[in-house]
Amino acid sequence: MKWDEFFVTGEPLIYGAMVSIVLVSLAILFGLTYYKKWGYLWREWLTTVDHKKIGVMYIICALIMLFRGGVDAIMMRAQTAAPDMKFLDGQHYNEVFTTHGVIMILFMAMPFIFGLMNVVVPLQIGARDVAFPKLNAISFWLFFAGAMLFNISFVIGGSPDAGWTAYFPLASIEFSPTVGNNYYSLALQISGIGTLLTGVNFIVTILKMRAKGMTLMRMPMFTWSVLITCVIIIFAFPVLTIALLLMMFDRIFGSQFFTMANGGMDMLWANLFWVWGHPEVYIVILPAFGIFSEIISAFSRKNLYGYSSMVASMVVISGLSFLVWAHHFYTMGQGAMVNGFFSITTMAIAVPTGVKIFNWLFTLHKGRISFTTPMLYSLAFIPIFTIGGVTGVMLAMASADYQYHNTMFLVAHFHYVLIPGAVFAVIAGFHYWFPKVFGFRLNEKLGKTAFWFIAISFNVTFFPLFFLGLMGMTRRTYTYSAETGFGPLNMLSMVGAIGLAIGFILLVYNIYWSTRYQPRDKTGDPWDARSLEWSTPSPVPVYNFAVAPEVKGRDAFWFSKKNNEPLSNEKITKIHMPSNTGKPFILGIAFFFLGFFLVFSWWIPSIIAGIAVLIILATMSFDRDHGYYIPVEEIVQTEQKLRGDTV
Amino acid sequence: MLKQLFPIKHVAGYISSLVLSAVALVVLLDIPAGSKMAILLVTAVLQAAVQLMLFMHVGESEDKKSVYINIAYALFVALVTILGTLFIFVWGWYS
Amino acid sequence: MKIDASQPLEYGTEENRNRIFGFWLFLGAEIALFATLFTVYFVLADRHASGPSGAEIFEITPVLLETFVLLTSSFTIGLAVHAMRLGLKKQMMIFMIITLLLGAGFLGIEIFEFFTYVHEGVTLSTSAFASSLFTLLGTHGAHVTFGLLWGTAILIQLKKYGLDHSTANKSFIFSLYWHFLDVVWIFIFSFVYLKGLM
Repeated sequence: MKWDEFFVTGEPLIYGAMVSIVLVSLAILFGLTYYKKWGYLWREWLTTVDHKKIGVMYIICALIMLFRGGVDAIMMRAQTAAPDMKFLDGQHYNEVFTTHGVIMILFMAMPFIFGLMNVVVPLQIGARDVAFPKLNAISFWLFFAGAMLFNISFVIGGSPDAGWTAYFPLASIEFSPTVGNNYYSLALQISGIGTLLTGVNFIVTILKMRAKGMTLMRMPMFTWSVLITCVIIIFAFPVLTIALLLMMFDRIFGSQFFTMANGGMDMLWANLFWVWGHPEVYIVILPAFGIFSEIISAFSRKNLYGYSSMVASMVVISGLSFLVWAHHFYTMGQGAMVNGFFSITTMAIAVPTGVKIFNWLFTLHKGRISFTTPMLYSLAFIPIFTIGGVTGVMLAMASADYQYHNTMFLVAHFHYVLIPGAVFAVIAGFHYWFPKVFGFRLNEKLGKTAFWFIAISFNVTFFPLFFLGLMGMTRRTYTYSAETGFGPLNMLSMVGAIGLAIGFILLVYNIYWSTRYQPRDKTGDPWDARSLEWSTPSPVPVYNFAVAPEVKGRDAFWFSKKNNEPLSNEKITKIHMPSNTGKPFILGIAFFFLGFFLVFSWWIPSIIAGIAVLIILATMSFDRDHGYYIPVEEIVQTEQKLRGDTV
Repeated sequence: MLKQLFPIKHVAGYISSLVLSAVALVVLLDIPAGSKMAILLVTAVLQAAVQLMLFMHVGESEDKKSVYINIAYALFVALVTILGTLFIFVWGWYS
Repeated sequence: MKIDASQPLEYGTEENRNRIFGFWLFLGAEIALFATLFTVYFVLADRHASGPSGAEIFEITPVLLETFVLLTSSFTIGLAVHAMRLGLKKQMMIFMIITLLLGAGFLGIEIFEFFTYVHEGVTLSTSAFASSLFTLLGTHGAHVTFGLLWGTAILIQLKKYGLDHSTANKSFIFSLYWHFLDVVWIFIFSFVYLKGLM
């Protein structure tokens, strides 16, 4: 292989990206050395097994990926803003929409949700950590390795270019001869293993580590949503694992699964992809429902309306999510019976989802609503998501779908579902739980300004796409002529995209501004909220709860505040905590190199990296470190420092 | 000592799994085609049950309810994936 | 660490109980994983293009031998756990060693079988049928291979640290894994080989 094949060449934009990557990396290395932060980074972050810090790392990665995916989005909108644009060529456009989709779903939405659930779930159930803290660190570093592997593809070897769905035969070695789709299969595989382990970890955590008295039906709704999500994860992700494995075999080892000759069946890829892909939609959206439930209840000063029906609807959704996947390919050639069946199951999902919408509305009903930033996102979510849901039911009708299929109407629909559903939720959750982790709130004025930019611009960007789709504009079109009449609406959409970009920049600026100027919160409960995480001081000490709380009902912290009853009468005793370990980080590095070498089919290095993975796993197995104890005096001191004189 | 090391439950499980494997072999004989799949299904499911109940002690832990739900859910997803895919590509294919 | 003496060693601590429960969940994921491979195999089984079909290449003798060896190894790992609960460390280790040897024997026959197929001109890239067959069998075989490495690591730990909460817990979880591989094999035996031959 020649060097000009190894690095991507010939594109001024990519040269610019390379230069900036090198400069930023050098700046980070220089900064760490100059301020002598290497030891801090290693001790406090790279080796941590603390669920809160792992959560923070997930969220930082997610925010960076939001900007990577956002730049892709702006480039796409710019290229289609006017007829016959020459900003990107067809190949570059293909790469941009592929990476936009993959990054936004798998490396932005998922880690953002994982970050929030890492920070919040153990606190909500009154636990000191997750069930398997080391495994949690492994999950994070595998995700990180996968994300990095995916991102270097655009400077080394070339990005995947067959869409985030990577349909065969387009994604085969014959039609996509660059290593781009090798990156796709391996990066997603590595981060997928991490996701699966997270799923197992959180189910055990939620089912086995709840505080005394917290029965399943007393859990906060976010914890419930995470539990259901993790159930979907552990049964859906293995399907992706296999699909990606077969893709890798087809591309690297010449197997015939999805080929056009020798009995291969390209449509089988689409089938497997969506057997995983549809439950994946719910993996992203159910925790969002949980976040909104928490926020709407907290800022209406009411308990959540219809708690049991909320739980039941999520259980039903988790089952139905495995029964609808063929609605993604109604036009593929299966008979009317098949399409009819999947049409009905798809429409059935609207029922439990509708139940949830009504529950939120009834929670708001007669509540004392305070319009904070997280609440604004939650309130905006309800109508916008409903538009997404209704257009979803339109798409669910198989016969009508023959008209909408693969048009911009579909693009508009899923952005109307995923942006209010997932993005608004994680941003709302980010504002809501930020003071818990860092000890101060984000500035409300900046937060609200960003909200209005995002909420309005979102509609300006995506509402025109419904009409463009109905006019016949297909998705993934990189250019069109003036005669089509697509120009004006696309230009409008571009204007909206710029507004969205400004909104997100304001959001990050708010983090910077608030870090410098916001007053510190000493109460630990700045929103006057309801669940156990707010009973701890902020920032939360490493052991979470000085004494394990005891729960007597739903919204336990709220009633302990109202009735002036402490959450526990026990005395402080020494606390057992897991020790930090650098092995998950090293395992992530080994997996990164294993993936990288396989992408280029460099066999000897691949085998060496594979053996390294096994050796690291073996050393972990031989580890006999059972953690350490925090003595009582230290706990008392920490609590006094964080809470002032209140204890 | 022998009796202690080879408990009757395990020996019975082992023998029954060998017998069930042998029974499955009748599908290679000249019997009605319709009954063959039924025999394979029954013997395989029984064998899986033998492993689960007698060897894996599925019902012994305090979380047995969750474990049963987990296995049931896994089988649900497994069946839906297998049968649904065959429904799409074989039984329900447009022709 | 709270120790509960009323339970067997492998369940004795909270962490141990969490690990066993977590591993059951992982096995649930493994069921979905193998179900996907079976899906692929069932869809592609008749699509052998110009290459041979299953009926033409399957031979019952090595398959029966593999089945017998794996069923026996599942029996012996069960006995190992039984001996462990009686506190008989030496007998337990002997049963585990027998299990691993049988596992290695199984793997040997499978590798021999693969060589025979390749010799007959059937490789991963011959047809969609061949690809799905090799991948299904290979994934199971890779699990067995990993099991051999894992089991060996546990044996070394048993030797080094003796039978305690940690090693008992690991051995028990390994036994769950091994039984599960046996269950998967039963389905391969029935729905790949016997169905292909009938």
